Amino acid sequence: MINAVHPALVFMAGALLIPLLKGKAKSAYMLLLPILSFMNLLQIPAGSHWVIGFLEYNLTLCKIDRLSMVFGYIFHIISFIAILYAINVKDDGQHVAAVLYSGAALGVVYAGDLFTLFIFWEIMAVTATYLIWARRTKASSSAGMRYLMVHLFGGLCLLVGIILQLHNTGSVEFGHIDLDGLASVLIFIGFGINCAWPGFHSWLTDAYPEATITGTVFLSAFTTKCAVYALARGFAGTEILIWIGAAMAAFPIFYAVIENDLRRVLSYSLINQVGFMVVGIGIGTELGINGAVAHAFADILFKGLLFMAMGAVMHQTGKINCTDLGGLYKSMPVTAIFCVIGAASISAFPLFSAFATKSMVMDATAKDHLTVIWFILLFASAGVFHHAGIKIPFFAFFSHDSGIRTKEAPLNMLLAMGIAAFLCIFIGSFPGYLYRILPYPVDYAPYTAPHVMAQLQLLFFSALAFTLLMLSGIYPAEIRAINIDADWAYRKGSKAFMWLLTNPMSKFGAWISRTVFDVIPSALGWASRNPVAILKIASDSLLLKFAVPEKRDEIRRRIQREKEIYPGDIIRHWPIGTRVLWAILFFLAYLLVNYLSGVKQ
Amino acid sequence: MNDDHINTHEELRELKHDPVPGYRPVFYVIMTIASLYLAFIIFKTL
Repeated sequence: MINAVHPALVFMAGALLIPLLKGKAKSAYMLLLPILSFMNLLQIPAGSHWVIGFLEYNLTLCKIDRLSMVFGYIFHIISFIAILYAINVKDDGQHVAAVLYSGAALGVVYAGDLFTLFIFWEIMAVTATYLIWARRTKASSSAGMRYLMVHLFGGLCLLVGIILQLHNTGSVEFGHIDLDGLASVLIFIGFGINCAWPGFHSWLTDAYPEATITGTVFLSAFTTKCAVYALARGFAGTEILIWIGAAMAAFPIFYAVIENDLRRVLSYSLINQVGFMVVGIGIGTELGINGAVAHAFADILFKGLLFMAMGAVMHQTGKINCTDLGGLYKSMPVTAIFCVIGAASISAFPLFSAFATKSMVMDATAKDHLTVIWFILLFASAGVFHHAGIKIPFFAFFSHDSGIRTKEAPLNMLLAMGIAAFLCIFIGSFPGYLYRILPYPVDYAPYTAPHVMAQLQLLFFSALAFTLLMLSGIYPAEIRAINIDADWAYRKGSKAFMWLLTNPMSKFGAWISRTVFDVIPSALGWASRNPVAILKIASDSLLLKFAVPEKRDEIRRRIQREKEIYPGDIIRHWPIGTRVLWAILFFLAYLLVNYLSGVKQ
Repeated sequence: MNDDHINTHEELRELKHDPVPGYRPVFYVIMTIASLYLAFIIFKTL
């Protein structure tokens, strides 16, 4: 007998009570939710729980093992931090959506079967969309709709894959899935869309910068990490993931460097970091999986911290573009320090979190002799320092003085950032605590002289490159513009599609409509006035084509006359005997068909 | 939280990074050396 409820239930049921409370009671209640949920989680032993029958299948609503527990821990931590950050928001809808979203994410990581996973997966999509729409701007409205469409498509792939998988195997249990058929490929793609694989990624860089300030903090934590969890659970060791992950780690760097919107820079950076995790999952060794999971844990904290810092800047100044910001360290020194801690963490400085986690993935590639992948990840590591480690704090807080003078962010925001910053340093300084909760036993020491030296070299030369690029004037200018990425498909492609619909397709449709509903019925109506005369005109017209030249004038005159007198006197030309003849002919035809069908039988 | 503050400060269309005289040759020299060194490492590794 378990004295607990399902891990998602505290959040999901608790969210519904939020609008009923007011003032400090509401704040206290919201902060209490993740704490209560965490205490509830600790009461549930490892194994499968809440197994219910559905049709002839068993659905396992909760399956607890070491992999799901790591994600459970970090989801509770970031929920607490993000709720604290958002506590002053005066929009109950946002609070309810954010807490439901957190609960659904827990539902995903504790789902023991694919159907349960799918249900929570879709709740995440809907609640996340609300967090984008809640900003209530035209851009957020459009981005939210695109986000919803992409995720519904991903959900559809997942659902069809699950149904086919059920048909093939007779089981809905969520375990390792071999990538060997349509069912598994569809599930794989369903997870990949949420993971922001290259080509499927533009929903992330499109929607996250348009969400509310606090909503983005929640969004950055859950959707992609749930996909990472699902891939680790279902497709660990699938080789193609190594290449997908490497591409994810590398390509966003180029976009992030030229991007003007700092929250969009962080969105590209998010894809870059998830790339490292996907590589680790693709390798599939114990070190690779541990590295992927540990890096997901660390990434949720430092990426959340960076989004919170940029959110604080946006909250205080109303601006987020490099072209508008600069010199804010004078007005917002504490936020600047937290931002630098987040930047150092994502860049994997020694004593900061990613140093102890990202290096596990790098080491896993080295141990598997994946030299090309290792070089790509090394390039990506330098790139992330460039765009997230330097660009974010530099353009927001230093660089040119924009002249903006404001106040420091509110206390709750600073506290939330402070907790995240503390955890980033704690994990980097004492990684053993994180290593202890990873899915497999850890035999990895990050603080070796070669590793520290190599990492410092990488960071030093990256900083040198940035400095020289700036001083030599080669560094690309920050421009207020939209950089087209894979979103070309809907930004340009959809316009071309709409032109196709409104021009040639529309004209073709009008022609079909006119022909089917106007020309043909009126022609039939006209012909039905005297079908025999029509047949006679038709036969004379045919005859005209084949007639000898001397007969043609006569036939033409006859046709002309027939048209003039049309419909004419029907009865006069057709005595009753002719009609009887027609009836006999039809009757004979009927008998013939009937006889032939009888012969066949 | 309202992020729609109106800020009266001038908003740039483009934030250029003007070169500091003398640094461009330094950049090219270092880039050349670094590229050759990297190529050497990759050649030795693969």
